[in-house]
Amino acid sequence: MIRLRSLLVPSLLAGLASPLLAQAPAKISLRTLSAQMKFDLAELRVQPGAKVRLTFENPDDLPHNVVFCDPGTDLEKLVLKMLEKPEEAMKANFLPEDPKVWLKSRLLNPHEKQELEFTAPSKPGAYPYVCTFPGHAATMRGVLKVLGEGPKLQDLKFAVYHGAWTKLPDFKSLTPHRQGEVGDNRIALNFDDYKNQYGVVFTGKLEVPESGEYTFSLAGDDGARLLIDGRQVLADDGVHPSRLVEAKHKLRKGTVSVRVEYFQAEGGADLYVGWAGDRFATTAFSKWTPPDWNKPPGQKTDEFTGLPLEPKAAPIIYRNFIAESGNRGIGVGFPGGFNFSWNAESQSLGLLWRGAFMDAARHWKNRGGGAQPPAGFDVLRPAALSAAPLAVLADADGPWPEVVNGDVPAGYTWKGYRLDRAGVPSFLYSWNGVEVEDRIVAEGAKVLGGRLVIPARSEMEITYSWDSVPVVPSR
Amino acid sequence: MKPHPFLLAATFVASVASVSSAQAPDPTEAEYYRITTLPTPAGTALEVGSIDLLPEGKLALGTRRGEVWLVSNAQTAGAAVWNNESQVFEAESPSQPQAAYQRFAEGQHELLGVTWKDGWLYATNRYELLRRKDQDGDGKADLFETVSAKWGVSGDYHEYTFGSRFDKNGDLWALCCLTGSFSSKVPFRGWALRIKPDGTMVPTCSGVRSPGGVGFDADGEVYYTDNQGPWHGSCTLQHLVPGSFQGHPGGNDWYALAPNMGPRPQDPMDKSRMVVEREKVKELVPPAVYMVHGRIGNSSSAIVCDQSEGKFGPFQKQLFVTDQSHSSISRVCLETVNGVKQGAVIPFLKGLKSGPIGARMGADGKFFVGGSDRGWGARGGKPFAFERVEWTGKVPFEIHEMRAKPDGFELTFTEPVDPNTAASPESYSFREFTYIYQSAYGSPEVDDVIPKIEKIEIGADGKSVRIKLDKLTKGHVHEVHMDGVRSKGGRPVLHPVAYYTLNEIPAK
Repeated sequence: MIRLRSLLVPSLLAGLASPLLAQAPAKISLRTLSAQMKFDLAELRVQPGAKVRLTFENPDDLPHNVVFCDPGTDLEKLVLKMLEKPEEAMKANFLPEDPKVWLKSRLLNPHEKQELEFTAPSKPGAYPYVCTFPGHAATMRGVLKVLGEGPKLQDLKFAVYHGAWTKLPDFKSLTPHRQGEVGDNRIALNFDDYKNQYGVVFTGKLEVPESGEYTFSLAGDDGARLLIDGRQVLADDGVHPSRLVEAKHKLRKGTVSVRVEYFQAEGGADLYVGWAGDRFATTAFSKWTPPDWNKPPGQKTDEFTGLPLEPKAAPIIYRNFIAESGNRGIGVGFPGGFNFSWNAESQSLGLLWRGAFMDAARHWKNRGGGAQPPAGFDVLRPAALSAAPLAVLADADGPWPEVVNGDVPAGYTWKGYRLDRAGVPSFLYSWNGVEVEDRIVAEGAKVLGGRLVIPARSEMEITYSWDSVPVVPSR
Repeated sequence: MKPHPFLLAATFVASVASVSSAQAPDPTEAEYYRITTLPTPAGTALEVGSIDLLPEGKLALGTRRGEVWLVSNAQTAGAAVWNNESQVFEAESPSQPQAAYQRFAEGQHELLGVTWKDGWLYATNRYELLRRKDQDGDGKADLFETVSAKWGVSGDYHEYTFGSRFDKNGDLWALCCLTGSFSSKVPFRGWALRIKPDGTMVPTCSGVRSPGGVGFDADGEVYYTDNQGPWHGSCTLQHLVPGSFQGHPGGNDWYALAPNMGPRPQDPMDKSRMVVEREKVKELVPPAVYMVHGRIGNSSSAIVCDQSEGKFGPFQKQLFVTDQSHSSISRVCLETVNGVKQGAVIPFLKGLKSGPIGARMGADGKFFVGGSDRGWGARGGKPFAFERVEWTGKVPFEIHEMRAKPDGFELTFTEPVDPNTAASPESYSFREFTYIYQSAYGSPEVDDVIPKIEKIEIGADGKSVRIKLDKLTKGHVHEVHMDGVRSKGGRPVLHPVAYYTLNEIPAK
C-alpha cells in the first residue's frame, strides 16, 4: 500500500512534543497501625541512590518514631544501648545517637505526620527500620530494601501471527505473518497495523547472575504465557483484562532462553513480563507495566480496591452494578455505617450491611463491568423482600411471584427518586398505574424502618418495622 | 506487505530531520487554534462524558463517575497544569480568572449525555434517561425523575448509552452500545432510540455497534460515531435516518419488539463490501464518512457542529469529531448526493490532554471538550481533562470543503491558491480504497485503485480547484494528498490530506 511521508510526520512530531518530566523523588509512605504496635508495611523498596520522599504518619494514640539503620543492625541492642542513659534518651525523645542510624524521624505525637526527604543508600541491601520508643521495637519494625535493577532480555525477536483466538494457539504450528528483531530488546505491542486479532511470540536470552530462586511476573490483556528453556513458568490464558500473576522458579547461573507467547482478541491490549531476585528489584522486560508491578508481596492492590466511598455529612448514592441488586442497583450508604442497596428492577431491597459502604474501584478503574459486593460486614439478604413488593395473588395463601435477578417484573415502572434535605432517598415507582413511594430511614448503624406510601390511597399506607422482617445472614 | 514499525520509525526521524533543516518550520496548529486545559475540581476525577451549555453561560458536565458539575467562567478561565500530588488539574496562577465548579448531582451510572430544558437537567445513564431538578434551591438536585428506562442492561461493561441534546422535533436520542462487540443480550442494545417529550420510546435505527457520540448537523439531521470492530472496518460517522439499518446485525432480533420499524432486514453477507450489500439490504445506510482507522483516529467520539457564524474560524456549519484514542479533533464537511450523506474528513487539531468523549461549542465559538482515557488509553496521557479550544483569529490555509463531481472532485480552500502549484498534477496524489464489510473485527484497507489526474482547473474565485480523475469508484474512500499546493502567499496547506467517502457519484 502507499504510505506518504506527510501522513507520518505529524504523529511523530506529536510524540516528540511530549514534555520530558524532571526526575521526581520516589514517594513512599509508612503509617503506624492504631492500637496494634505495628507499622502498616513490613517492607519498603527503593532504588540505590534514589531521591526519596517518605511520608510518615502516626494515626495511633501513642507516640512513635521511625529510625533507619545499617544492614545487620541488632535493633534490640540499639534500643537497650540508648536506654542505658534514660534521662538523656528522654531528652532526645528516644531517638538514638548511633553510627548505625542513618535516618530518623521526629518522635511523632498521636495523629501527627512528617515528610522526610533523603537519598537512599547507594549500596544494595536490607536496611532495617524500627520505632525506638521504649517497648515498641519488638514488633514495630520492618526492612527497607535497597535494590537495583536486574538483567534484562537480550537478542529479543518477535513473530506476529494473525488469527481470532480466545485461547493461546499452538504458535509452533502456525506461520508468522511477519517477524524481526526488537531493536531496544524491550517487549512492546506497538504493532500499529494490528490492533485486534493477532498473536505475538517474543524470544530472547536472559543472563542469570547466580544460581537460586527467582520470582517471575506476567500480566496480559489478553492471554499470555512465559516459558524458560522450553518449560512453562507462568500462564494466564483466555480473554481478560490484564492482571498480575507471579511464580517462583529456580535457575542455574548462566544463559537461559525466554519465550513469551501472547494473543490479543479485541479491545485493550497490554503485555508485561518481569522478574525479581534476592539481589535485584522487580525488573520489567516490557515497556508497559501494570499498577503495583514493583511493590513487595502483600502490598499489591488489585484493580477492585482502592476507591472507597465514605459517607461523611450526608448519605452517598451509588448507582452501578451492585451484587444481588439486579442490573439497576442503587447503593445507599449512610454516615454511621448503615448501608443498603436498592434493586430498581424489582423495586425491592437488594442487600443490607454494616460498616464500610462500597469500593468503586471495580467500576472506576477500568471499563466499568462486573457487580461489586458490599465493602462492609454483616451482609443481610432480606429474602422476603427480594420479590416485588406488590402483587395480586390468586388467593391469599398463594405463592408470591418470584423475580429473576435482572428482570423487571410485569406491571412495574421505575420512576426515579427524591432526596430529602438530609439527602435520604425515597424511591418512586408505579405498579399497574398505582404510584408508590418507598423509603428506608436509618440512624447511625441501626435501621429504623421502611415506609411504603401510596399517596392516592392513604388507607393503604404501610409502615413496617425492620424487626419484623425476616432477614437471612449472608454466606 | 506492511513495513516494519521500527523501520518506519527510523524513516520518520530521517524525514523530519531533513524537513527541518531544509525549510522554514511549518505553520503550526497552535497559531490558529489555542487549547486551554482548564482546572478541575479537587477530590474527583473529572472524567467528562458529556457537555452542554446552560443559560447564563454556565456549562453542565456529566462524568463517567456519575457526577453532574455546573461550571461558571469556563469561557474565560486561565490555563491549568496537572498536579501529580493532588491528581487534578490546578490553575497555573491564582491571579488569573478562575472557573467555579458546583456539584449538582452524583452517584449516577456513567453519564454520557447531559442536556438542559425548562429548569430540568436531562441525563442519560447506562439504562435510563433521567431528568433532575433542584426543588429546594440549595444548588443540588433533589428530584430524579425517570423519563424512560425502556432499554435493557445486562451488566456487561460494553453496554454504554450515549444521549443526545434535544433534536429539532424536541426528542432526545439514546444510542445503545451492543453487549460486547458482537451480540445484544437485552432489548435494544445496538439500536438508536428516540424518547418523545411524553416519555414514549421509539426504536428508530438498528445496526449500531459501539457509539462514541451523537450530534446534529446545521440542518438538525442526526449523526452518531461508531467504532472499528465487527462489521466496521474503521471508525465512522453515520447518518441516523429513521427506519434505517446502520450495518451491524447483532441487535436485529429486537425488530420483534419494534413493529414501527417493519420486518427485520435481511442480514448482510459476511466478507462482502458495503457498496454491494447496500444494493441487497434496502434499509442499510452506508457510513457518511469513514474516519480512516489509524490515520484520522482509532476511536471516534463526540460530534460538534460549528454554528458560531465565524467565531470559530472559517469552517461554519461543518462538523468537528473528536477521537478518544488520538486525543485529537478532525473536521468533516458533508453533502447529500442521490439522497445519501457523504463527505470528507480532514485532520484538524491534536494535542488534547486526555481521551475526549464529550464536546460542545457555544454561539461564541468557544469549543469545550473533555474526556478520560480509562479502559482504552489516549495519546494525551492524562487520566482525564476538560479543555477549551478557541480560534486565534488567524485563518489557516486549509482545505475548506471537498465536493464530489461526476468525474472527480472540487476542492475549495480557505484562501486563494497559488495557481502554479494548485494547477500542477504533481502537487496531488490520489488513492481509492475500501474496507471489507465483515463479521470479524476491523478490516485492512483493500481494493486499491490509483486514479490518474486528467485535468485541473482553478475556479474564478481563485479558491476552488476542480480536479478531473480518470476513475471514481463508488463506495471507496478517496484519499487525496496535496503536499505541493501553496497559497497565493506561498504557505503550504496546514493539513494537506482529505479522505472522501464516495457513497454515490453525482450525475452532475
